[in-house]
Amino acid sequence: MTAAEVGQPALEPARRGAAGPSRAGLRLVRLHAASRHVLTCLVVLAACAIALRTALHWLPRSGVYARQIPLTIEAGAAAVIGVTTRSPFGEPERATGRWLPWLRLAASVALTGIAVGTLAAGAAAAHLAGGAAGLARDLAGFTGIALLTAAVLGGGLAWVGPIAYLAVTLPALAGNWTTPWIWPARPPHDRGAAICAALVFAAGVAVITVRGARDRSRE
Amino acid sequence: MTAATAPPATPRAWRVPRPARPARLLRIELRRSPVLWMLPLLAVLFWLSAYRTAMSNPPFWTIRAAPLQANAMLAFAPLLAGVCAWAGSRDGRRGLVDLVGVTAVPRWAAQLAPWAAATIWAEALYLAGVAVVYGVTAHQGAWGGPLWWPVAVGVAMIAASCALGFAAGLLLASRFTAPLAALVVFLALAGGAFAIQDNVRYAQIWPLSVQGPFPAGSYGIFYPYLPDLAIAQVMFLAGLTAAALGAIGLPAAAGGRWLRGAAAAVTVAGLATAGTAVGLAGTARVTAHGIVIPALHDAASDRPVRYTPVCSRSGIPVCLQPAYRAYLPEVTAALGPVLSQLAGLPGAPVRVTQVAVTSVQSERENGIGFGGPVISGRPPVLYLPLSGMSLPGEGNVSAAQFTSDLRQLSGPQIVNDLVGLPSGAAVGTGVTSIDAVMGARHAAQVAVARALDQIMDLTQISAGSAARSGAGSVPPLARQEAAASRRFSALPAAVRHAWLVTHLTALRAGRITLSEIP
Repeated sequence: MTAAEVGQPALEPARRGAAGPSRAGLRLVRLHAASRHVLTCLVVLAACAIALRTALHWLPRSGVYARQIPLTIEAGAAAVIGVTTRSPFGEPERATGRWLPWLRLAASVALTGIAVGTLAAGAAAAHLAGGAAGLARDLAGFTGIALLTAAVLGGGLAWVGPIAYLAVTLPALAGNWTTPWIWPARPPHDRGAAICAALVFAAGVAVITVRGARDRSRE
Repeated sequence: MTAATAPPATPRAWRVPRPARPARLLRIELRRSPVLWMLPLLAVLFWLSAYRTAMSNPPFWTIRAAPLQANAMLAFAPLLAGVCAWAGSRDGRRGLVDLVGVTAVPRWAAQLAPWAAATIWAEALYLAGVAVVYGVTAHQGAWGGPLWWPVAVGVAMIAASCALGFAAGLLLASRFTAPLAALVVFLALAGGAFAIQDNVRYAQIWPLSVQGPFPAGSYGIFYPYLPDLAIAQVMFLAGLTAAALGAIGLPAAAGGRWLRGAAAAVTVAGLATAGTAVGLAGTARVTAHGIVIPALHDAASDRPVRYTPVCSRSGIPVCLQPAYRAYLPEVTAALGPVLSQLAGLPGAPVRVTQVAVTSVQSERENGIGFGGPVISGRPPVLYLPLSGMSLPGEGNVSAAQFTSDLRQLSGPQIVNDLVGLPSGAAVGTGVTSIDAVMGARHAAQVAVARALDQIMDLTQISAGSAARSGAGSVPPLARQEAAASRRFSALPAAVRHAWLVTHLTALRAGRITLSEIP
């Protein structure tokens, strides 16, 4: 309330009940997104989609490079999603933020969905080895790793997990490893690989929802 | 003690705290470098990408050195770039830029300390990994000595990725800088590898290229390892490192005018060095012994390495370079049946000597074709290159498979050479018309070569071979050739051998017609 509003009648209870919570909720979401730099994350995801589209223009339709470069971009997108989990407020926000777990859940799931959609749109008119199903599986798995890393190392270092996992997938792609835990090296319709990626994503989302990214007080 | 009883304080000289010396600053940064806690992860990645790959191959120094450059860098460089970007953005993330900006130490010098600390830890881990790989290789009795140029490229690559990441983090302090730095380095490496595969001339400068299109076992054994490309790559990476570190000193807050001038000079020198290295890589050419860059080439590298060959005690001795000592039984087993069939014929080899690559030809997708075995000299000697072949223990190749591959690859070439067919002529496998392949002049030679190949089980004539099945519209000459081949292979071994002893010289000279073949 501003000084000009002093003396004016307060909002009617009925009107306040109808508009207040939704507006407050939207404001809470907006503030949460702003504190996590979600807008920058969306810009980077769009850049990743453009990079994927550009790469697919030049890449061969099969072979190691046809898998490796799209995977690198997917890992980058997942790393950026993981980095958004970092909170600049730390303990005070944890202590007072009643809706924080739900906001974290919504943010991580929404960003993953947006990333899948954006990259799929980027690859729409080109041939993506593994197709949209493979992209969704790999990106979800990468994101799960990023979220788990954020819970262990902190949001600012969430990118370490997917990038390290990507480095592991390269010898797996070249050596045709068969373990489903290296899901990017498996065919897109491999059920075991899909289950492993889904499990990792679910674990990442669950951990980040309940605990949030680890606070590093000095950052 | 009260104020009244306190003795008067003795005047003390005013002490100005000395600015932190670089060594002390470095010690502090070594303790708090983020690379320190990344070492276990980097060690695991080294084991997965470089160590396992190296150890899944036979103990040749060249084969073991290649993953130390290419595979290790693919695992190390992106992570190091990201971690160093994280370290570089430390002051910015913590809001300390203004605070540390007014300290006595010039900012440029102070900023180099975290980079140096990160680089030292990463280099230490990398060199420890190299020591393990080379130690195991030496223990396994590899012939010759370790290659240090691929390691030098790896060391330079680590310094460069740390410097680039650090500069990015320092100049753009954001939570997204570290992942983006790692992503960009990954994409750059992958894009470079793709350019190498696409035979882009300048792409050889990329540190993932160890010796251009040469397989790891095909160089550095008969002739010294040619370091030309590695020198250019080290130049390129050192230039990038200098440019990135120089760029850190360019902002106004980095120091005084002279310091910034020096930083600008370092940046320009680094870019010039990197550009020169790229230009040099553009002049690289593929020779039989590796990549040669004329401006960097040392003629001493063209002298063959001295060695005493190891020979089998078979009827026709097989002599190999001592690095291949372990494969002598397999090579003897592969060539023995072929050579025993041909023994006693005019021009048949009396000895087999392993040689270096005789000729090379660049192919698509960063491929390379090697010349096959050659029979020459008096008495005739079979000069056999093994380069480019997968050796037993390399990947999933077994000794039996190596023996079979060598026989199927070299056997027909030996027969072709003996009957006087052009080198590399495709005889046997699915060839239906000699008209289309070599012309009528070589018809008799093709017929005899096919018969010998079939007798020695060297080639599988495809079931659909029209000439052999008699189906379809087959040129008359092809039908005659197939018939002659069938006749010749049906002869008793002694008769066939006697005919070859008498007529091989004339056959080689092209003076025998199909009708003259018994």
